[in-house]
Amino acid sequence: MDTSNKRLIQRLMSRIPIKMLRTTLGKWGRLTEVQLKSMNLTQSKWALTEKLIAICEENELEVKHLTELEMIYIIDNPNQGMWHTFQLMDPEDDAQSVELTQFKEQFKSHIRELVRQVSVKMKKHTDEAVWIRIAWGDAFSRPNHLKPTYVVHHLQTPYVFVTSLTAKQKPLLSQALVLSTRHQAIKDANLSGRKLTAIRDLMMRQYQQVFPTKYPSPLTEHNPTVSNPHIGREQAEPAANRLQMACEAFGGGMLPQLQSAVYKLETKFRDQTNKTMTEREEPFKCVVKFASTNLLESLRNCASSGRNYFVITDNGPGPSSKTDQPQN
Amino acid sequence: MERHQNSVTRTPLNSVVVQRRSKSKSYRLSYRSCLGATSRLCFTPALTARRLNTSRRAPKSHNITEKVNPEKLALLVKTEWQLSYVSPLYQFRHTQLKSYSRQLSAFIAAEKQQGLAVEVEGPQKTFRVSFSLVQGMAESDDDAETVLIQIHSKPLFARQDEPQRPVWSGWLTCINGNPDYLRSLPKDFICLPLFGSSGAEALTTLVKSWFQQFFDCCFGPLEISHTCLQWLMALWTNCHTESSIQHLKMIWTLPVVPPLQVTYTVNSEDAWELWSSVRKEKEKENKAGEMAKDEEENSIDIEEVTGFMQGLKSHFYRHFRLDLSAGSLDQVSTALGSAKYKGRIKISNSRYMITTLTLLTECALLKMPI
Repeated sequence: MDTSNKRLIQRLMSRIPIKMLRTTLGKWGRLTEVQLKSMNLTQSKWALTEKLIAICEENELEVKHLTELEMIYIIDNPNQGMWHTFQLMDPEDDAQSVELTQFKEQFKSHIRELVRQVSVKMKKHTDEAVWIRIAWGDAFSRPNHLKPTYVVHHLQTPYVFVTSLTAKQKPLLSQALVLSTRHQAIKDANLSGRKLTAIRDLMMRQYQQVFPTKYPSPLTEHNPTVSNPHIGREQAEPAANRLQMACEAFGGGMLPQLQSAVYKLETKFRDQTNKTMTEREEPFKCVVKFASTNLLESLRNCASSGRNYFVITDNGPGPSSKTDQPQN
Repeated sequence: MERHQNSVTRTPLNSVVVQRRSKSKSYRLSYRSCLGATSRLCFTPALTARRLNTSRRAPKSHNITEKVNPEKLALLVKTEWQLSYVSPLYQFRHTQLKSYSRQLSAFIAAEKQQGLAVEVEGPQKTFRVSFSLVQGMAESDDDAETVLIQIHSKPLFARQDEPQRPVWSGWLTCINGNPDYLRSLPKDFICLPLFGSSGAEALTTLVKSWFQQFFDCCFGPLEISHTCLQWLMALWTNCHTESSIQHLKMIWTLPVVPPLQVTYTVNSEDAWELWSSVRKEKEKENKAGEMAKDEEENSIDIEEVTGFMQGLKSHFYRHFRLDLSAGSLDQVSTALGSAKYKGRIKISNSRYMITTLTLLTECALLKMPI
């Protein structure tokens, strides 16, 4: 077996805890009963790794089989690494009718057009999620299986969850996703966390609340063009609203564990006490990041501490409300 | 005559001879005892007011590289320092630095032998200490010259050409210290109230012990108060037109369970616009008064600083319905430097070093034991 495959097995074995080994290898189904039994789980990881390498050599397994094993493990244990949420925008007319086979074909074909050397595996999970594993190469090198990107998408929803994606790879993945799902654009949804199940539940459940049917219309807050700059559309408000809605949606129960949320604000500065800034045409640009071991829990406690706790002392007549009317 | 000699041998205007108590009884210079001796000249505790100055001159970038040795300067910038305040040093002489270097080296070696945890570089190494002057930083005649201390690790069997990097650095400084306070100190006391250190905590403790023993002083942690952090934010933003701050970043912690950390980063141009709009509003108010124009431009008031902060907070509140005043400001940073509430400072651009150290010297002087 060549060194790169051995390294892949070594890496897999270092990720998979011993107690998960039997189940994962069983699901993989590439070992005979005898071989499975021969893996003595009381041995050290290192010894087990050597054993597995030997078995894989015996069975003449190739890299495509090995990556299967990785995928099985990750799908069953997704709450590791950092997951980022993206949102597909502006669906075409036929976006709703994209079904699995079409999506798979289109995605593979688009990504292969964009990246010369790439290895793509797609698998539909029982919960309707489509999992995609991408090993990236380039014009000069074969796909790197040690640093794959994982993508999770539920068809007919706008959400895509991604882990281990570099800045260089991002536009390529974005393009392939947009084309294969029949949308016009994709953007950062500003939610990330270690627990995929948590952020997915958050997005999907809240999504179902807003759109009770399975066939959504575009979310109204995302009209990108601002016809009258003086009105200063508040792009940030929907974002904050979303988190607040999430808190309310879950009520007093267990909240999904989110670690951080980032908001990029580009809104007009309005403050009655500062005429100069209020009259300014350019938006006030800033980035706000919220971080916590459990972000939603923190935010929920902010709200429940009582509205009076968070009252800003303003020289003006009071904080502006959400439904601000333009002042001109 | 060299500057440092001036500071050392300067006799305060009052020419009071302080009764020197025996050294076997450790004593701290208490501000009160100092006052007792000088009260007839009417220097009162109000000199080091209980608050920071409410107004200060707008910083102009100093061409500090012309005044200070650039190598020394390079040692001070771009490092994050942990700050402490230190009470005036009894009989510290800027002319004795070589001797202090030897004495501190010996002290560290002795403490190590006694088994105190200085396992920084392993038991095979000893430490070589060097004290040096950083001339040119002192702004006024009353400021004592800045002293830099470096500790190099000296491997027992070092090759000749093996470069030695310092494993610990520290400095003592006084920039634009309140002249009334400085002049009120009895003869034989040198005031270098601001101490910065970088390196192993064990070595910092040893250096402080040595100072305490030799110069009868005391050290305490210097937190950078909320007001001081706001000043730094404003002063740095004020410099944007001369050298870009690149961004204004604030880190807050809100006291909920679990604690919520908010990092609020403002685009540099927008921060600058907000700051100058706040200054303009103030200028309009001042027009009613009689301030001369250049004085007005040069001086920044605390109200402008708090107005700036208020603007930032209210913009945040509009979007998130969270009042940052309920939280605590932990850190501010720009391309010119960063400051943390727990007393850590990093000066990234030497041009604004004097401004920053002036503010911190003031903070340190406020902590002088009463």
